[in-house]
Amino acid sequence: MASKGSASKSDPTKDSSVMGSQETSGNGKEILSVIDSVKKQVAADRSVSIKKRMEDNRQKLLGVSNHLYKLSTEGRTSRTNDSDRSIDLLTKRQKDALDMHNGVDASNGDRDSSSSQEDAHASTAVLLGSNVPVKNAVRPIKLSEVKRLPPYTTWIFLDRNQRMTEDQSVVGRRRIYYDQNGGEALICSDSEEELIDDEEEKRSFVESEDYILRMTAKETGLSDEVLESLAQCFARSPCEVKARYEILIKEEKAVGGSKNGDNEDILQNGNSFLDKDLDAALDSFDNLFCRRCLVFDCRLHGCSQDLVFPAEKQPSWCPADEENIPCGPHCYRSVLKSQRIARVSSSMNGDLEEKNVPSSGFTGTQILSRKKSSGPSARKRAKSCQSESASSNAKNISESSDSENGPGQDTTSTHHSSPPKTKLVGKCGISKRNSKRVAERVLVCMQKRQKKMLASDDCDSFVSGGLCPGDMKPKSNSCKENEDTSSSSHKNVKSPTSGRSRRKESSTQDGHKFVQSDVLDASSNDINTDPPATSSDDNLRKEEFVDENVYKQELGDNKPWKAIEKGLFEKGAEIFGRSSCLIARNLLNGMKTCWDVFQYMNCSESKLSCQVGDGANSLVEGYSKGNNEVRRRSRFLRRRGRVRRLKYTWKSAAYHSIRKRITERKDQPCRQYNPCGCQTACGKQCACLQNGTCCEKYCGCPKSCKNRFRGCHCAKSQCRSRQCPCFAADRECDPDVCRNCWVSCGDGTFGVPSQRGDNYECRNMKLLLKQQQRVLLGRSDVSGWGAFLKNSVGKHEYLGEYTGELISHREADKRGKIYDRENSSFLFNLNDQFVLDAYRKGDKLKFANHSPDPNCYAKVIMVAGDHRVGIFAKERICAGEELFYDYRYEPDRAPAWARKPEASGSKKEDGAPSSGRAKKLA
Amino acid sequence: MAKFALGSEPVVGSLALSKKRDYRVTNRLQEGKRPLYAVVFNFIDSRYFNVFATVGGNRVTVYQCLEGGVIAVLQSYIDEDKDESFYTVSWACNIDGTPFIVAGGINGLIRVIDAGSEKIHKSFVGHGDSVNEIRTQPLKPSLVVSASKDESVRLWNVHTGICILIFSGAGGHRNEVLSVDFHPSDIYRIASCGMDNTVKIWSMKEFWTYVEKSFTWTDLPSKFPTKYVQFPVFIASVHSNYVDCNRWLGDFILSKSVDNEIVLWEPKMKDQSPGEGSVDILQKYPVPECDIWFIKFSCDFHYNAAAIGNREGKIFVWELQSSPPVLIAKLSHAQSKSPIRQTAVSFDGSIILSCCEDGTIWRWDAVATS
Repeated sequence: MASKGSASKSDPTKDSSVMGSQETSGNGKEILSVIDSVKKQVAADRSVSIKKRMEDNRQKLLGVSNHLYKLSTEGRTSRTNDSDRSIDLLTKRQKDALDMHNGVDASNGDRDSSSSQEDAHASTAVLLGSNVPVKNAVRPIKLSEVKRLPPYTTWIFLDRNQRMTEDQSVVGRRRIYYDQNGGEALICSDSEEELIDDEEEKRSFVESEDYILRMTAKETGLSDEVLESLAQCFARSPCEVKARYEILIKEEKAVGGSKNGDNEDILQNGNSFLDKDLDAALDSFDNLFCRRCLVFDCRLHGCSQDLVFPAEKQPSWCPADEENIPCGPHCYRSVLKSQRIARVSSSMNGDLEEKNVPSSGFTGTQILSRKKSSGPSARKRAKSCQSESASSNAKNISESSDSENGPGQDTTSTHHSSPPKTKLVGKCGISKRNSKRVAERVLVCMQKRQKKMLASDDCDSFVSGGLCPGDMKPKSNSCKENEDTSSSSHKNVKSPTSGRSRRKESSTQDGHKFVQSDVLDASSNDINTDPPATSSDDNLRKEEFVDENVYKQELGDNKPWKAIEKGLFEKGAEIFGRSSCLIARNLLNGMKTCWDVFQYMNCSESKLSCQVGDGANSLVEGYSKGNNEVRRRSRFLRRRGRVRRLKYTWKSAAYHSIRKRITERKDQPCRQYNPCGCQTACGKQCACLQNGTCCEKYCGCPKSCKNRFRGCHCAKSQCRSRQCPCFAADRECDPDVCRNCWVSCGDGTFGVPSQRGDNYECRNMKLLLKQQQRVLLGRSDVSGWGAFLKNSVGKHEYLGEYTGELISHREADKRGKIYDRENSSFLFNLNDQFVLDAYRKGDKLKFANHSPDPNCYAKVIMVAGDHRVGIFAKERICAGEELFYDYRYEPDRAPAWARKPEASGSKKEDGAPSSGRAKKLA
Repeated sequence: MAKFALGSEPVVGSLALSKKRDYRVTNRLQEGKRPLYAVVFNFIDSRYFNVFATVGGNRVTVYQCLEGGVIAVLQSYIDEDKDESFYTVSWACNIDGTPFIVAGGINGLIRVIDAGSEKIHKSFVGHGDSVNEIRTQPLKPSLVVSASKDESVRLWNVHTGICILIFSGAGGHRNEVLSVDFHPSDIYRIASCGMDNTVKIWSMKEFWTYVEKSFTWTDLPSKFPTKYVQFPVFIASVHSNYVDCNRWLGDFILSKSVDNEIVLWEPKMKDQSPGEGSVDILQKYPVPECDIWFIKFSCDFHYNAAAIGNREGKIFVWELQSSPPVLIAKLSHAQSKSPIRQTAVSFDGSIILSCCEDGTIWRWDAVATS
């Protein structure tokens, strides 16, 4: 076995060097003597402290070992009782030996009488003086052979790949090998790569060093000379010592002040989460949550990923058919019901009428009404309800407009004109189902109109402009609504708002001036109160700055809203629109009731309208304006992109270049994909483009990006052949991307997903869905372990995934060396950045052996942005058969056993996507 | 080994003999030709404090120390597989108190022998490679823990034959595990060390329900929900080479590498962040010519003394708990030239046994000094 000596300890050298420098000057001597005495003191303290700790430990251990002793004797007493039942052979032999030794000579007769049945159990004890070979002294008892397992290293099952954690790296770490076959000892190390930097690692100052430093400085000051000798004493550089001293001084000063502060901090910590604002709270979310896998602490993509904000946002979620049942005792509905005031504002009614009546022809009023309906959420809604609106026809519209007037009159002061509001009308108003339906129809009709508007080119740009700010924060929508209702001259407020945003838009988009002015004309009469108006976005921001006292007053009995609650509310408004029930239930549960939220929502909106004249917010406004412009620009580009998108089908140029790359790839490994953060269609700066990968759904870029992989349109072929562009590109289909790809789930008891295509399920999502075969682990017929198939499968059937740790190529080279020594490697080249290592983490397929004539093949497949290795049946495989695949060693790396039989066979197929590396018969 | 900063140096024991105690060879046995890798006294059951077991090759042998240097062979077991080479042995017992001998070796099998009926009780199949050390939980002597070349440490219940826990995985050892030990009082805690040069401290506190479950398990052992403990609570890089033996000394840890010394250190864990912490090296016990790996030391029942052999067949007996450490005795004999793989110190420290590479067992008895 190994031998390795090493010299240790270096204390004497330190001393001698100190001694050496002592002679330099008298002053130096003085300094050194000070240092020396401090040092001695430290050393003495140290030995005393060790002594004390040893003693403490000894005391403790004494108790422990006494307790253990008690346990071992307790056993004896309890056992003597049952020893009557069956005599313990060990005890018996012990006694025999003792008797024999004492000359009592355990006679045969004695033993026969006491326990005749034991006699069959072999010989009695044998006494050994010295130098008698033991081997033959006692008849040995045979331990029947048990078949040992083929060797393996303990491994952890992974159902998906994991990225290597830092501490697993073998790079830069020394490894000592020994050769088991070489008999005793053989330690070798890869000297070429040995970088032992750890000695040079920056050692942090220990307490005692600080102490010496402080004491010396106190007594002698801190001249260069002192620093020099201290540095020598610590075996550090003088500047290091100086830097440390400065830190110490600072700390000392800080200590006095912070002592009290610390306590406060601790006290606050308990509640710190609630005191933070949402952004701060979300910080950890941003760092820990993987937006690709939708899990926290993702092992595949890691923490602190680059945040990619999508250029396109999801529309705010609207409950498909919101029930009118109050969400709880504090639901605004029930509260409102009790507080309902039958106050009708005729102007509102008129408003609605105005909106509903003109169903054709685009007039100024119409634009106005559209504005009123406050584009963002309405439009979003329109999107989500497209099918609905499509099915509803003109009849409905007219119907709705007819019946609309009635219930509309009864509405309370808070709701109208916008979609969520119309719903409220239905609910709180007369509470008639009919009215609700009517309201929905109104909605539909409005959506329809909007769509038409969108379609008409002239207005289009304007609309989008007007919508923009609201679109980003749907809440603005509600603000506007509120303005509608709460201010008596609702028009005045409303139109400025839209005018404002229009104007902003004009700063970015000159081309629309014409339309804009048109509209301005249309609503020119409203503009008198214009100046102080803020854009809807600004309103939102202001909200945060609003004095809490105001809220207190307005919300009456309720606690003030904390920053985080406000933040949550905003997010909720973004997600759920104006549904206070949903916001309260999902985001503010336990903090605020639905009624609170409802009040807050309305009150903050009305406040905005009141505050319009308040100039104090100009600063904020300016700030947010700047922000908005940046955002808005991207918005516009996106929109433009969307128009274009229609032109690019999957047959477009972009697609071809992808395919080309695929065919060109040949020997090159695939490229690792990293989502780009482009906020606009990807240009030359795009990280994906530069890297040579397609953009995926995780990229920030809009869907119209030319570099996006467009998925497939397959239906009948079920994506099972190279006809399918996904399949051809070694990708799995993605229901988010492909047009017709879907699978049914379960046995249909939970409903069937909306089927796409013509009822043909996609067959190219098996890795994604983990539709794998049962693989069994067993003794291989060839060597070591092997993987076996439980059920028979057909050709090209997906068997399972080869999972493992994702490691860099550098790491893999280093590990490979270690594995090669053990002749056991589970490395698998994945792409240009990563190698899969299944040595310590993987699944049973890692045990599939190599064969030149295999029944399986491995393929690297892109699944939702990640490369994964799938193992597929190369032919029909019967149940219970062992699985083999060709490891496809790079010719020069193949171990001898893999090279012999297939020298010609595998090389031909070198271009195949997979190339496993140095793998052993495990 | 890294230099020590001022004020954190360990206290190094002096090799000057204290003459506190003197030992003489009283017996020498040639067990066989194959090297003996382990010798261990039974500290589990006070009836058998004078009984010890050795392993070497495919044999497990049980002896008794009698007065006057006499050693009696009580039992001998032989594995039918001639290729088996046992590396380690430990005493354990069934819950009814039946003495068990647990041995493991190159085949990766753990043999549980019922010494009370002289029959094999169970064979544990599970380790993927050789078993380097087996230790018994003194507080619950039917729990044993094994360290293996397959990079894992496993906790077994010898009573039911269940593999309860596997200490391995993401935070586990990166090479063979050579040694493992139970904390003497904290029943949840074990320390393991190995060829990755680290010492890892593990806690099974969160998994204790499984340990309890293992005692009442009546189904097949293979159906037991064996758990992986993937993350140690502490990882110490005390040595820069293979760490081949570690033992708890109270809350401190004694460990040795191939640097001619045993090191005593205190793991200072941070409660908030498991796995992190610092090591305070307190004392060192020099052992000259002890620079090959797989040399293990042993302590008496009360941890007063530790005995360790070296490459040249000499034994150093250190007083463990004094500061600075005191060398109690240095045992040497003209005919003892072969590396001593393992020693065993009797309950009170009066007998020291050593087993050697050449297949001999030496018995040293303390001589009363006037």
